[in-house]
Amino acid sequence: MSDTAVPATARPKKPRPQLTTYLLVIVLAAFTVFAARQIDLEWSSFIDMWTNPLWGRFWPVPWDWVLNRHNVFDALIETFQIAIISTVIGCTLALPIGFAMSKLTSPNSPTFWVSRTVMSIIRAVPDLFWGKLLVTAIGIGAFAGAWALTIFSLAVMVKLFSETVDAADPLPLEAARAAGGRHTPAVRTAVLPEVFPAYVAYALYVFELNIRASLVLGLVGAGGIGRIVETQRSTFNFDRLLGILIIMFVIIVIIEQISVAIRKRLV
Amino acid sequence: MIVFDDVSVTYRGGVHALRNVSLTIEDGELLVIVGLSGAGKSTLLRALNGLVPATSGSITVDGVEVVGASPRTMREVRSRIGMIFQTFNLVNRTTVMNNVLMGRLAKVPAWRSTLGVWSAEDREAAFQAMERVGIVDKAYVRASNLSGGQQQRVGIARALAQEPKIMLADEPVAALDPVTTHQVMGDLQRINRELGITTLINLHFLDLARHYGRRLIGLRGGELVYDGDISEVDDDTFRDIYGRAITPDDLLDESADA
Repeated sequence: MSDTAVPATARPKKPRPQLTTYLLVIVLAAFTVFAARQIDLEWSSFIDMWTNPLWGRFWPVPWDWVLNRHNVFDALIETFQIAIISTVIGCTLALPIGFAMSKLTSPNSPTFWVSRTVMSIIRAVPDLFWGKLLVTAIGIGAFAGAWALTIFSLAVMVKLFSETVDAADPLPLEAARAAGGRHTPAVRTAVLPEVFPAYVAYALYVFELNIRASLVLGLVGAGGIGRIVETQRSTFNFDRLLGILIIMFVIIVIIEQISVAIRKRLV
Repeated sequence: MIVFDDVSVTYRGGVHALRNVSLTIEDGELLVIVGLSGAGKSTLLRALNGLVPATSGSITVDGVEVVGASPRTMREVRSRIGMIFQTFNLVNRTTVMNNVLMGRLAKVPAWRSTLGVWSAEDREAAFQAMERVGIVDKAYVRASNLSGGQQQRVGIARALAQEPKIMLADEPVAALDPVTTHQVMGDLQRINRELGITTLINLHFLDLARHYGRRLIGLRGGELVYDGDISEVDDDTFRDIYGRAITPDDLLDESADA
């Protein structure tokens, strides 16, 4: 062994974690404790809440009421309609806007900055607030919900999609430019095929989000299954509420499985 | 005819990639450009089709000025110049056909290429380009499923689909093994002869340059240090260009044997 041993050279020392890392952890821990005290967080409340007699009223689930199509399923169909319309419109708009928001594919810097700024303003407003805003503006109902979720879909989609475009291979685009292509056709032929599978995967994910969001959007009067949830909650029919939640749970799991299966095939 | 007149390219950061290069290339020539990495070979080709803007001087292609050209003029000039890349620059996730059709971008209205509605003539032109390099059977295969040599042929077919007058090849074989290297170089030589396309090839290996070139351009530190017939080139010329004696690393077949 000694014959073949490589002569020892000076080994570099393993770098030590920086002092700032420790400090940051300490500061974060201290702030968390401080915040908990400020809001009078009582640890016992986590246990006490399970002794609330209200829980008993969630059971048994009145399945005959829940499964009666006029009570729940009509609203569920409305939820699907809202989710599909808003996913399709939002994601379609997100395609050109997403390209405009990426340094790689933006036609010029004004387009780049304007699209980025407008989209971050839209994204800063949460979906529930958009729902409230649009219900106020155009009245209670599914129409307001569809609008709110369209805006929400667009905001989520452009963020995910433009980041994917940022990471796309720039070399085919160079080839398209070298062939004398205009900007839009060059992006379409050189970049779109590369990012399209991700685009479809994100659109499916946004659809999932929209189905979920419809549950809370109903709370502000924006239609869908959330409307039923809100009326049952405000009239203390917790057993019916649990039934609706179980159905929603099953539907969301099924949709998630389908979209995972499709996404796997795409990428 | 291509004329470089006193062309300099300075990159941001102050790197002088080309210094006062003057060069005239007649129609139908096959030109090999050699030089070390960073000598300005790639910049020379990219200045010609405007992918890298020249800082000063004048470059004309059939009398059309490229330096400071409007986007429209630039696209028109580019449409006549095919380009082949060291890294192939294919869209891996789509078919060979779609990659080759990219060469038709300048010839079709924007709505057609944007919607992907290519005409029968464009598809036929793409097929003919594939035929030239023997990859017609791969038309509907995904580009990523091809070997390196086949991928570079897709690159050549894409350039041919432009029906170009000029072909630029930027280190077209640097990513290929010796056997496919000779096949691809043979393709380029044949295309130059059969179609009369003016061809500029950047090469790293000296023996390849000798084997396939007619006229040799030597670049060193951004300056043109040799321009002449390749048959007159001897080892001293290469020493001038490379600034050192030739080593087996500079020869494809030698280094492949090693």
